[in-house]
Amino acid sequence: MTAIETHELSKRYRRVSALTECSVTVPEGRVCALVGPNGAGKTTLLRLLAGLARPTGGTASVLGGAPRQDPAFLAGIGFLAQEIPLYRRLTAEDHIRIGAHLNPRWDAVLARTRLEELRIPLDQRVGTLSGGQRAQVALALTLAKRPRLLLLDEPFAALDPLARRNFLATLTSAMADAAGDLTVVLSSHLVTDLERVCDHIILLAGSRVQLCGDIDTLLAEHKVLVGPRKDTAPIERTHTVVQTAATARQSTLLVHLNGPVIDPAYEAEDVTLEELVLAYMGADEASAGKHLTTVGEGS
Amino acid sequence: MSWLVWRQYRAQGAIAAVLLAAAAAVILADGLAIASHWHSILVRCAGNTTCLQQQSTLVNGVVSDLPYISLIVPAVLGMLWGAPLVAHELETRTSDFAWTQSVTRTRWLTVKTGWLLLAAAALGGAITALTTWWSGPDNARFASAFEPGHFDTQGIVPIGYAVFAMALGIAAGTVARRTLPAIAVVLGGFIALRLVISDFLRQHYLAAVTTYYNVTGAFTPPGQAWVLAQGAVSPAGRVVPTGWGDLYPALPASCRALLPGTPGAKSGASLNAVFSCMRAHGWRGFATYQPAGRYWPFQGIETGIYLLLAAALIAGTFAIIRRRDA
Repeated sequence: MTAIETHELSKRYRRVSALTECSVTVPEGRVCALVGPNGAGKTTLLRLLAGLARPTGGTASVLGGAPRQDPAFLAGIGFLAQEIPLYRRLTAEDHIRIGAHLNPRWDAVLARTRLEELRIPLDQRVGTLSGGQRAQVALALTLAKRPRLLLLDEPFAALDPLARRNFLATLTSAMADAAGDLTVVLSSHLVTDLERVCDHIILLAGSRVQLCGDIDTLLAEHKVLVGPRKDTAPIERTHTVVQTAATARQSTLLVHLNGPVIDPAYEAEDVTLEELVLAYMGADEASAGKHLTTVGEGS
Repeated sequence: MSWLVWRQYRAQGAIAAVLLAAAAAVILADGLAIASHWHSILVRCAGNTTCLQQQSTLVNGVVSDLPYISLIVPAVLGMLWGAPLVAHELETRTSDFAWTQSVTRTRWLTVKTGWLLLAAAALGGAITALTTWWSGPDNARFASAFEPGHFDTQGIVPIGYAVFAMALGIAAGTVARRTLPAIAVVLGGFIALRLVISDFLRQHYLAAVTTYYNVTGAFTPPGQAWVLAQGAVSPAGRVVPTGWGDLYPALPASCRALLPGTPGAKSGASLNAVFSCMRAHGWRGFATYQPAGRYWPFQGIETGIYLLLAAALIAGTFAIIRRRDA
């Protein structure tokens, strides 16, 4: 079963296209990294999935239905916006009680326990907490809702390294508690933030999807070929060259394989996630966007 | 959902309650003083109308402006509670929190606006109850409850004003997405509408009554009527409002000569002589007014207008919030 499936999902704000014909799939139970440079459309995609914004084109299916203003749909979604919106004059305890009044499956004990473990005062106005503490409060509230899909927009932006570790620990334990019933999408402009926890990736650049799929599959399908500098046409007949870098005598190609590399002049090396992401981010939008959107789509 | 509203507004509600209690204390103390003064006048004059009319005003100074709090309260409610209701949530992005709980935006807005409109009606009602009671002796003394400036501060219209100002604040904040411009819209919009309605529209709710009378006599519509115009009509049907500046050039020359102080005035000139002369030439007195019996129908019509406008604004707010990209 898929948690998220979009088909040519688009969003235009007046003349600016924030998201263009985005088709992605995220299977249930995955932790999906949503990466891309600033302004690539990450926030727009998350808001469309949460039903906070309405698409101007295409369709989205989230937890089996289109995002909509409906209590049952909203109960399944946990959304945490980049600005970590909380009522600054209210306390964490107030927020927990608000959540209890507004959500059917609310787990107040879970939220209180998590925050007490992190030694975050429940009776202090959240406006007086540190940025890291506020993010933890917001995450605890989002998790207390017991969502089936967690959409986190740049959750690390406001966090120092220690707070990031705590945040990820909270997330990991939530995944363990949910036993495969929780799908997470979290966005960042740095893939290194997400590498340890994610098993799925969506890469956006210039409002288009550049890459989407299971990380292990994608890493297996791509190789870095190092060889003498020569015509790459024979390679391109079978494989797709994503990125080329060349010195005077040597050229380095990052390719999407379509079979074994026969040419013995090349030496094939494994590719890291960061290399892969940077290659696709830098790739020519028009050519990369078209035929690679469904690369590595697992079943 | 109601608990969220309670938690968000309980501090402001407490402040409003304290202010209301303070206003009530002042109005009650002053009102009781006026009532006892009025009572002593009634006793002293013992039903003698001339004696009653010779008494000085009942209220004076700052205290005489008390009824105007029933004009200010609605505007303040609209600015401080109405304008930020949606706008502040959008500004601080707490709408992202509220709109991703398991509650639809429609329900969120219904409960929030419902309670605040109710609070506006309750506060408006409390204030107008106090000022209506306070104005009792003044109304009896001057028969002025129907006049602009008095009509607007008593009865049920302040409730309509309060609900409208709150709705205007909510709608303006929803459209502007920011609190400050919404506050400006409430202030400007509320004052403008109040002026347009009280100065131009209200007198036309029902067709006014015109009474003609003997120009040498006097006429006062019975009860607390609202006199829109009073003056004289020439035999040719020319209407001249009271005031010699208007009347003098319109008079027949023979009557003009009877006016005391005119160059070449005849001996025996007096105002009474002028009136008799006018009467002899076929002039009549006229008064155009809304009869006293229409006071409550007018209160009802005006309240209805404000409530309908409020309903339209709230309906618009729902349509926007439901469709909005947050």
